[in-house]
Amino acid sequence: MHIRSLFYFIGEALKSIARNGWMSVASIAVVAITLLILGSFMVLNYNVTLITEDVKEQVQIVLYVDEEASGEDRLKLQQKLVGHPQMEEVRFVSRDEALERLKRQLGDRSYLVEGYEGEDNPLRDSYELRTKIPEDIAIVAGEIKEYPGVDYVDYGSGVVEPLFQFTGVVRWMGLIFMAGLAVTAVFLIAHTIRLTVYIRRKEIMIMKYVGATDWFIRWPFVFEGLILGFIGAVIPIIIIYYGYNTAVAWAQTNIYFVSLVSPEDIIEEMVKVLLPLGVILGVLGSSISVRRFLKV
Amino acid sequence: MQICRIIQLTAAEKGKYFRGWFSMIDIRNVYKEYGTDIVALKNINLEIDRGEFVFVVGSSGAGKSTLLKLLHMDARPTRGSIKVFGRDITRLKNREVPLLRRNLGMVFQDFHLLSDRNVFENVAFALRVIGTPPREIRKRVPLSLELVGLKDKAFKRPDELSGGEQQRVCVARAIVNRPAVLMADEPTGNLDPNTSMGIMKLFHEINIRGTTLIVATHAKELVDHFQKRVIVVENGAVVSDRERGVYINAH
Ligand SMILES: Nc1ncnc2c1ncn2[C@@H]1O[C@H](COP(=O)(O)OP(=O)(O)OP(=O)(O)O)[C@@H](O)[C@H]1O
Ligand SMILES: [Mg+2]
Repeated sequence: MHIRSLFYFIGEALKSIARNGWMSVASIAVVAITLLILGSFMVLNYNVTLITEDVKEQVQIVLYVDEEASGEDRLKLQQKLVGHPQMEEVRFVSRDEALERLKRQLGDRSYLVEGYEGEDNPLRDSYELRTKIPEDIAIVAGEIKEYPGVDYVDYGSGVVEPLFQFTGVVRWMGLIFMAGLAVTAVFLIAHTIRLTVYIRRKEIMIMKYVGATDWFIRWPFVFEGLILGFIGAVIPIIIIYYGYNTAVAWAQTNIYFVSLVSPEDIIEEMVKVLLPLGVILGVLGSSISVRRFLKV
Repeated sequence: MQICRIIQLTAAEKGKYFRGWFSMIDIRNVYKEYGTDIVALKNINLEIDRGEFVFVVGSSGAGKSTLLKLLHMDARPTRGSIKVFGRDITRLKNREVPLLRRNLGMVFQDFHLLSDRNVFENVAFALRVIGTPPREIRKRVPLSLELVGLKDKAFKRPDELSGGEQQRVCVARAIVNRPAVLMADEPTGNLDPNTSMGIMKLFHEINIRGTTLIVATHAKELVDHFQKRVIVVENGAVVSDRERGVYINAH
């Protein structure tokens, strides 16, 4: 394609977009909404995945050893834990070690636990356990609770499981909803291009008569769809960029311990995914109309 | 020493050497049927040479427009062959049709001008959409407008022009790409007799400059006035074909 022709096609496409007014606006809006939702889900998904990874790291079972347990029981318990097929890591924390930790955590208020060393230590020996698959944690915790020499077990139930479920449900709902919106976007663009074909029918006829090639006649319509889709993708990218920056700024001042994906990474991902998708939706819409209504 | 050489001509060279030998347009045993019961043209045989001026006359529904449409590849014949520049256009691939049309200008009864742009842009449109460089467009459009006598109206819009002037714009648009053949389907159908005579004189002028003219018309006085070749079509068949003919009505 000659560069001059390229400018001609884009120019004609822009003229049509301006002339179609509200139809163009509606087409762009539906593409923008579709991609805004997709983009938002992606942003959410990235962060949920990141947080889940974070939480998974922290997901562990703490097993408190019964104070009355005999030395033999304790040895057996350790052997059973280490031998458990789903166990990734078994770490023994003695009561002394636990107290040291507590002191460290308390920092300049460590005087609070002063005098509890040795025999007066109120803490118990414990095991910190990590399962191979984080999702197995509840099952494993249930099993080892019954082992002899165990006082009780503790794990982050209530937080972990809903989080795993949440990501799955969100993904499916989002996908179905977006598929519907994407189809709407394609048909709206197809309808807009159809309108352009109708408005330009005289030009098309003259073009055929003076010997313009079929593709020369088609390209402006293809470009119209492409540009509609492109603009429809740029808008959500801008919205997500500003929205996410604001959200991150808010999170940093209010819930500072949470880790989030950086805005730069998010934007890069949005541009890589939303822009091509917008263009694809646009070109898909215009090809439908070019095929059906542009008899060249 | 080589005295005699047998030269094997390439296809391009054949075109160059032999083109002048062929009739510009050679129609053989052409039929055009629409569906099963409408026979628009039956067994048409015509030859039109380079530089001729041909009137095609006949009553309404005789098949004049159909004949021009076949030449312009707007429709394909049901049977027969149509050679243009020695090439059978009935066998053209779809993508070759635009190239044929660049060599066959066409003018209609309805002016088909684009009302959202001026005269210059209307003529330039025909060049733009076949990828002509702007330099070339700026050169050729004024020449074409000058020939049709509309140089000073180049920046007027079509609705600011009279019917005759609008038709001149269409002629300028049809010849701006310098086609070998200019075809017109009832070009004066919407014009008064005086203006019609002006358009016909313009065609004559264009013909004198070397373009082959094929004009389908009902304008009896004009046909009689110009004393050119007249082909009479009735009920889809050629019933008369005379040099320096006059308009004859079969009925
Ligand atoms: N697309 C078509 N489908 C079916 N029949 C057609 C079609 N085009 C033309 N015809 C028929 O073919 C015949 C010849 O039509 P054509 O338009 O060539 O006549 P014409 O000589 O140009 O008439 P006029 O002087 O009124 O323009 C007519 O009977 C017409 O009804
Ligand atoms: Mg006709």
